[in-house]
Amino acid sequence: MSEKSSRREFIRRSAAAAAGVFVLPEIIPSTALGMGGRTAPSNRFVMGCIGTGSQGMSNLNDFLNLKEAPQFVAICDVDILRIERAKATIDKFNKDRGCRTYVDFREFLEKEKPDAVSIALPDHWHGIIYTEAVNKKLHVYGEKPICRTINDGQTIVAAVKKNNIIWQTGSWQRSLPNFHRGAELAINGRAGKIKFIEVGLPDGNSIIGTPPVKEVPANLNWEMWLGPAPKVPYRGVSHWDWRWILDYSGGQLTDWAGHHIDIANWGSGHEHTGPVEISGSGVYPAEGLYNVPVEYDFMCKYADGIEMRVANASRLKHGMGTTWYGDSGWIHTNRGNELTASDQKILDEVIGENEIRLYKSDDHWQNFIDSARSGNQAIAPIEPAYRAISVALLGEIAMTTGETIQWDPEKEEIIGNTRASRLLRRPYRKPWTLPTV
Amino acid sequence: MKRQLIKLFLAILPIFITISCKNENISKTLIVTGQGNHMWQASSEAIKQILEETGLFSTTVLLSPPEGGDMSGFMPEFSKYKLVVIDYEGDAWPEETSKTLMEFVNAGGGVVMFNAKSDPGGTVPASVTVSERHNFSIFFRPGDHPVTKGLPVRWQHLNDQITQGMEVAGDDTKVLATAYSDTSFAGSGKREPMMVARNYGEGRIFSTMIGTPDNDKNSAMHSTGFIVTLQRGAEWAATGAVTQEVPFDFPTMAGAVIRPDFKAVTLDEAFGNIGNYNIEKSTKFFTFLQAEIRKTAGDENKLLALEKEMVKVLVSKEASFDSKKLLLRELSWMGTEYSVTAIKKLSEVPELKDDVEYALERLNILN
Repeated sequence: MSEKSSRREFIRRSAAAAAGVFVLPEIIPSTALGMGGRTAPSNRFVMGCIGTGSQGMSNLNDFLNLKEAPQFVAICDVDILRIERAKATIDKFNKDRGCRTYVDFREFLEKEKPDAVSIALPDHWHGIIYTEAVNKKLHVYGEKPICRTINDGQTIVAAVKKNNIIWQTGSWQRSLPNFHRGAELAINGRAGKIKFIEVGLPDGNSIIGTPPVKEVPANLNWEMWLGPAPKVPYRGVSHWDWRWILDYSGGQLTDWAGHHIDIANWGSGHEHTGPVEISGSGVYPAEGLYNVPVEYDFMCKYADGIEMRVANASRLKHGMGTTWYGDSGWIHTNRGNELTASDQKILDEVIGENEIRLYKSDDHWQNFIDSARSGNQAIAPIEPAYRAISVALLGEIAMTTGETIQWDPEKEEIIGNTRASRLLRRPYRKPWTLPTV
Repeated sequence: MKRQLIKLFLAILPIFITISCKNENISKTLIVTGQGNHMWQASSEAIKQILEETGLFSTTVLLSPPEGGDMSGFMPEFSKYKLVVIDYEGDAWPEETSKTLMEFVNAGGGVVMFNAKSDPGGTVPASVTVSERHNFSIFFRPGDHPVTKGLPVRWQHLNDQITQGMEVAGDDTKVLATAYSDTSFAGSGKREPMMVARNYGEGRIFSTMIGTPDNDKNSAMHSTGFIVTLQRGAEWAATGAVTQEVPFDFPTMAGAVIRPDFKAVTLDEAFGNIGNYNIEKSTKFFTFLQAEIRKTAGDENKLLALEKEMVKVLVSKEASFDSKKLLLRELSWMGTEYSVTAIKKLSEVPELKDDVEYALERLNILN
């Protein structure tokens, strides 16, 4: 039954140069009948989706737009309308009606055996579903931020390491040339020794108020949408707007940490470590359901002496994006293919063969499939994703407590502060628990 | 069309500085009003209440002669005050009066210009227009000015007009805030200055263009953004510094905030009301409490004082389940042994079962 798992197993063994490799006979699934000109079914990369909202659909389309698209065979969502939309997209592409659908991810993970799964969910579900999917030894394309709490993140990282699967975070900026080049210039000292980094993330900007309690629409399983989060009545604030409510998200700060903080870490050598001291303040709305910080401004100190300021873009000279300040200049990079520096000469620099060469990918989704097939690490693996969101979550704790937080990036513990340490995790509402690894 | 220059204060005659108020905390303030393109009766009364609310100003309202009246004897004794607020647009002042006001500033006095489209006592240039009333956002320019320091950078303002075509002149003048005037509301399609600060001689001038009163709810003046910037601008103009804390209810881009009676929330008021918490009516007493918790910055005594008040609400028979749920969430991370007994007693209440479990599970961590 688990021919896909066997193939992954084979790939892993090959990658590890293990001796005595053999291949089980391949069974072609009936749903994978090839259509004209496509890759032979036995070579197809089979995927499923958990979460088919805006980001889930965006990733699905990015995968389907690849030259050799993976074959999607199953999807899962708590909203039937979204299931229908995603199924229609997949069936149209596959020219059949075979895409299987699930409302409960547990049933999906029990019955489906794809090579990989693309997961895009509200953050409060990440701890459970990422860990469960990884424990099933599926390769995962997982949306950032990879966790709502540091404790969730530590569990997911441990699961990925133990199960030895390929993980790709949706930090797709890594696969764009300007971010890659900016980070490579920074890490090779082209602005001098890095002293200071500024990361600008979006200002909060949505007005949601407090809509009245409504009847849950028949298409939505609200209890399953809430899952481990505290039980609250349905007010029509779920899809998309979950990101303005602390039970499910930390707002723009945590939403975008996996982009510009991730790039900052990539270019400063902080991909596998974290800050040692974090302090700052946030601006919170006085009224309404919206309770994440609308504005935020905090400073992180690293053991190597580098300081990094993370703030909403309106507060920063360079606005959105990452700016590395070295002792001889600065380098700034942002979306829109933006790469600027204090001096054009910095941008003209050539990186030598013996210098640090950062991982290069020109397509984030293809890179995931290639990596899953080869067994080689993808461009946005789990640990850097965890380190990027940790910065935002530690900032959130500093802002919530009003205190300066001391963090041990090796032991991954807050030092000498019980109250702040309690904020590293959240109790889950029964019957949900964070899976063990 | 060439923009009209609005010149702020040209006279430069230094005079004797009155230092009698230097060590007093309360600034004697004169509000000059009596004529205007807006409802000056409403605005001057609102300004009086807003300033006195801080405890930093004692105000006197001075009415000018009515429109078309004899202005020749209009000569307020500015020098008796530390701060002069100009809520006046109308017949021109005698030249000597404008000159005296400038001398007052030069000698260290403070002036707040409220919604003024001209120099004090001057006439409004024809090139200055106003947009239709609408909700819009205001942006503080980067910088460390005492008036705006620590405030959110962008925020929503309610039902106001944007004055257009103003150009700021004079040395040492800083535009602190701007707003984009949207053409869909008869706007200029440009960013217009909304708040300006100027150091002049020994004194200071703060000018705010928002807070235009209306005949209805007057929400532009009840907007916390207007109230707080006026209070801070007035303190800065009067003393050169701002000692007022950034309030928890300054508006953000997630929405404007109203103070129905112009008054700030107090701790007693918050704890007196938090038990009636109803998310559909208001969340402000709870968000006030969260801001107070943040302000303690981990100070054990201050946290314990708050915790004791929170527990009082938690054990009260009158307090709503919704209020208790929120308090349990906060106590789950900032609580001590002091809360644990009270929380355990609630474990038999079916409506609070999940929340009690949540709180106790978290409180046990590292305890």
